[in-house]
Amino acid sequence: MNFITAFNKEFLEQRRTRKFLIALVVLVLFGMTSPLMAKMTPQIMTMVPGGEAFVGMIPEPTINDAVAQYIKNIIQFGVLLALVFTMGSITIEKDKGTAAMILSKPMPRGSFLLAKFTSLALTFIIAVVIAGVAAYYYTYFLFGQMNILNWITLNGLIVLYILVYIAITLLYSTLTRTQYVAIGLSFGTLIFLGILGSLPGFGINLPDALISNASLLMSGYPVTNWTGLWVSLGIIVVSITTAWLVFRKQEL
Amino acid sequence: MNSVKIEDLRKKYGNVNALDGLNIQVDSGSVFGFLGPNGAGKTTTLRILAGLAQADSGSIFFGSENTSKSGTDQKARLGYLPEEPAFYGWMSPREYLDYVGKIFKLEAKERQLRVDQLLEKSGLKEAAKRRIAGFSRGMRQRLGIAQALMNHPSLLLLDEPVSALDPAGRKEVLEMIEGLSSECTVIMSSHILADVERVCDTVGIINKGKLITQAKKQDLLDRYAIPALEITTSNGSASLMPEWKLRLEKLPAITGVTVEGYRFHLAVKDVHTSQQEVMQDALHHNVTFEKLEVVKPSLEDIFMQLTGSLK
Amino acid sequence: MEINPMEIILKYLPLLIPIALLQFGLMIAALVDVIRREKTKGPKWVWIIVVVFINLFGPIVYFIFGRDE
Repeated sequence: MNFITAFNKEFLEQRRTRKFLIALVVLVLFGMTSPLMAKMTPQIMTMVPGGEAFVGMIPEPTINDAVAQYIKNIIQFGVLLALVFTMGSITIEKDKGTAAMILSKPMPRGSFLLAKFTSLALTFIIAVVIAGVAAYYYTYFLFGQMNILNWITLNGLIVLYILVYIAITLLYSTLTRTQYVAIGLSFGTLIFLGILGSLPGFGINLPDALISNASLLMSGYPVTNWTGLWVSLGIIVVSITTAWLVFRKQEL
Repeated sequence: MNSVKIEDLRKKYGNVNALDGLNIQVDSGSVFGFLGPNGAGKTTTLRILAGLAQADSGSIFFGSENTSKSGTDQKARLGYLPEEPAFYGWMSPREYLDYVGKIFKLEAKERQLRVDQLLEKSGLKEAAKRRIAGFSRGMRQRLGIAQALMNHPSLLLLDEPVSALDPAGRKEVLEMIEGLSSECTVIMSSHILADVERVCDTVGIINKGKLITQAKKQDLLDRYAIPALEITTSNGSASLMPEWKLRLEKLPAITGVTVEGYRFHLAVKDVHTSQQEVMQDALHHNVTFEKLEVVKPSLEDIFMQLTGSLK
Repeated sequence: MEINPMEIILKYLPLLIPIALLQFGLMIAALVDVIRREKTKGPKWVWIIVVVFINLFGPIVYFIFGRDE
């Protein structure tokens, strides 16, 4: 199948160009350091000149602090890398003419596009899974047991959140001429959704709810509103479909 | 093999008519040379044929099929080489050709055989494992031709296939194209007339998105069989040459002048009158020459006449 | 409350070693890439310094922006 052919090429490209390695190492490193930093914050304060005064004010770190650090770091760097890796995926191929070479052959444009998305998705899935395992081990060692099922759910939600931004950036990469415009638009969207999410009561409907739900879950609260999950899946599907509809008609 | 018929093809980019009702008929098994000045619409036509751009109106027939709904079926029989072939720099030529082979759904064994064959044919066997990123323009061009041949295409579209090559490489590739005419229909665009003259059996000349003329090469040469004059000047007249060229261009019996080193090539209306005019002019202005001969017209002369790029 | 930095480091050593190894590995990978690459965006020696002396982010920035295809 042509999709498999294209997918194998894309995934090989990510390994050759070290994108895979970078995503893996960065996320795994943050998986390890997040619980460690949470644990060591009070001790680090004592080493900072003048920091001793605050030691008493900092409460003893808990497992929730470790999880919060992990979520924050993985989301921040996961999304950043996702934007950087995705921004040129279509623009560069159009600009250099590599897409024209391949798409004048019996390679459907839909397969071409979907292979880009799925291979990037796989890279981040693998990176988050390994980072999750590492973070679990470190947290266990430093703080104690966590609910494994909740931990798996949390990481799944993080992956989904990253996929939302891969899909959005892929759409922008299809629509625009240069990768820098594409990543600019992606950052714009990120900020826009952030502002939208700060409206009272509205945030629960946005991808950001994936993150807040994940934290709730880990702190042992039941999550009742999953609208953000469906909206996220919707954004992914709509972005990729739109990208395909546009790309199908584009001149290369 | 596949014949190609293009009917009333139109394509606008902004306000510019890239193609303005183009009609072309390419017979099955012929090597069709697509000639025209820059911006005439050659590349646009090839890109539409390759499915990379869409015409605003008009139709294209491959064989008897109308390809307004051109699908992967047609693409499976096509070979396309753009003017500047681009590759994934992180791949080796072997990997790239293998990838192309997979897209054409060749079985593993057949694919490997074909890849080896093409590497050999394109002289890239030694470089088969190097990264394409470090390749010279000529190597890329040869790899470009190799990838276009992967599927034994029945229609091969070549956009300026040899202009980036050195003389030796050019000769090689032209011979390869000549040899292909028994396997497939070839459409090649070029602005180098000598190349087209050498390998093509049919020539289409386009300008401003319209076909000016299309004919068998021999018919074209016969139809416009006005001979030309070739003059080799002597060393001493070197300083007089630019002036002389200007005067020659003004002579009534001369339609075009090209200069190459010490050689003047004159497209003429009539051999006798032009000869007299030239010699009179030379006498009056003390120009000497070593040789004056009547030569057969080249495609270049006809091209000049038809596109009116000279007087 | 007196805490010796060495004590902390020793206490968490089994957790710190994998982190250090990963960072070192990434640095080596980037360094090998800089040296073997024909040309980089910007001078090579600058990238070597960036890769070696800027922890974690040096190699990442190099991999993302420094390579010239």
